[in-house]
Amino acid sequence: MLRLDKVSVSIEGVRVLRGVSCEIIARKTTVLIGRNGAGKTTTLRAIMGLIAMDQGSVRLDADDLGSRPAYTRARAGIGYAPEDRRLIPELSVEENIRLPALALKLDRAEVARRLDEIYQLLPELHVMRSRPAGGVSGGQGKMVALGRALTVARKVLLLDEPFQGLAPALALDYARTLGELRKHRPELAMLITESSPALLDRIADRTLQIERGEILDTSTKDREFHVAAI
Amino acid sequence: MSNAIIPLLLDSLASAALIFFAAVGLTLVFSVLRVLNVAHGSLYSIGGYVAASICLFIASRQLNPYLSFLALLFSAVCVAAIFGPLIERGLVRWTYGKSEAVQILITFGLFLILEDLQRVVFGVQSFYEDAPMRLLGTTSVGGVVYLNYQILLIAMALLVVVGLRLLINHTRLGRLITAVVTDREMAQSIGIDTNRIFIVAFSLGVFLAALGGALATPTSGIAPGLGADTMVLAFAVAAIGGLGQIEGAALASLIVGLARVLAIYLVPSLDAVAPYAAMLIVLLIRPYGLFGSVTARRI
Repeated sequence: MLRLDKVSVSIEGVRVLRGVSCEIIARKTTVLIGRNGAGKTTTLRAIMGLIAMDQGSVRLDADDLGSRPAYTRARAGIGYAPEDRRLIPELSVEENIRLPALALKLDRAEVARRLDEIYQLLPELHVMRSRPAGGVSGGQGKMVALGRALTVARKVLLLDEPFQGLAPALALDYARTLGELRKHRPELAMLITESSPALLDRIADRTLQIERGEILDTSTKDREFHVAAI
Repeated sequence: MSNAIIPLLLDSLASAALIFFAAVGLTLVFSVLRVLNVAHGSLYSIGGYVAASICLFIASRQLNPYLSFLALLFSAVCVAAIFGPLIERGLVRWTYGKSEAVQILITFGLFLILEDLQRVVFGVQSFYEDAPMRLLGTTSVGGVVYLNYQILLIAMALLVVVGLRLLINHTRLGRLITAVVTDREMAQSIGIDTNRIFIVAFSLGVFLAALGGALATPTSGIAPGLGADTMVLAFAVAAIGGLGQIEGAALASLIVGLARVLAIYLVPSLDAVAPYAAMLIVLLIRPYGLFGSVTARRI
């Protein structure tokens, strides 16, 4: 579905990604594991077009995204929840979740449908929908960011370190939500980055390991999961 | 006593209204594009020149004089439609992400070009066409005579404050602008074409400046140098109000207008200094301006 081919990215002259190639597959949850500074966030930012690539390509199905401006990602159905939430504090929780619908000019019925789906998955968002996003806690903010990303994600969902900074109870909640999401939206291709593999053991279908800007072969990990599934 | 105070108040409100048109555009462009457009004042004076030219044309052809009101608005729309996209796409966008020094140098260069362009096109003589002001006439209350045009200016400024607030808080475009102001990258990630928002916001800023210039022409005429004067005043107002703050710009315009008119009435020699004295005092107490905060600057 989403294919990165030899993607190289530099930040201020320093190579951060060195020829990253990988594929994010529909109906699968792919987890990208790596230490801080390994290039996880940069990989997601490169997919989103938020950072210029030195070389390589990003394709969604037959669509070459690399040559197009960042805002086209959302139109192509790629939803993105950054690690640091990045909500608009003065707008309410629901207004934040609806914001992509305004940008994408979705019609009323479609917005209501997506919002329903999100509230069903994340009932706590429904409870706090009219609170200003600036007033929710960090963990709740992550849920709001997930909700906003889901408004966009028709094909691909990118989550950057969703468990980072979550209290253990909330992290468990979040993991459960991701499991639910898999059931509700089986067609979705998900890419989740994380620094510790343990948290995502249950939801990961495939694991990729990134180190110093390079993806290491992790097919063995894949097989392990198959064994576990059997 | 009240016979002296009311015209004084009206004078300062009308003068505040004109400064506000220039300052609110400057502050709006800054908050969306994060570029301080030094050439903003030139767009104010271009609006004035275009409006004066059209009004003079209307007078010379003896067309319906009330058309000149339409001409004021029309000239602002024209200036915005031509110069807005042209300057943003052609010049300002190359400065995004560059240091403030580069942005200021480039827009200062544009300011010099636009000032000379105005001298070439409109000459160095001053333009004066007060048909719109004469048409509205005066009102006399309790022996004090008011210019109705001044009341129109104040009403227009209030309309802009309310209109901008409604636009920002209650329209689709306003929401998208808010998203871009708060977090440009996130805005792109959720599907907002930020380049389009930049063009629209910049052109809106140009429209407001040109409208200010057009509305000012009937009261004070227009001559070379107006662009520079306006720019400096608009910057003082934007700094007092807090960069990026619409209501802040309105309140700061009032302060500056009042300071100027008070100086003219009481100590005429301090007329030019008064706005900056006000700015100095406000910034000493509140370094980010009346409505500003450290986070709102987001540079």
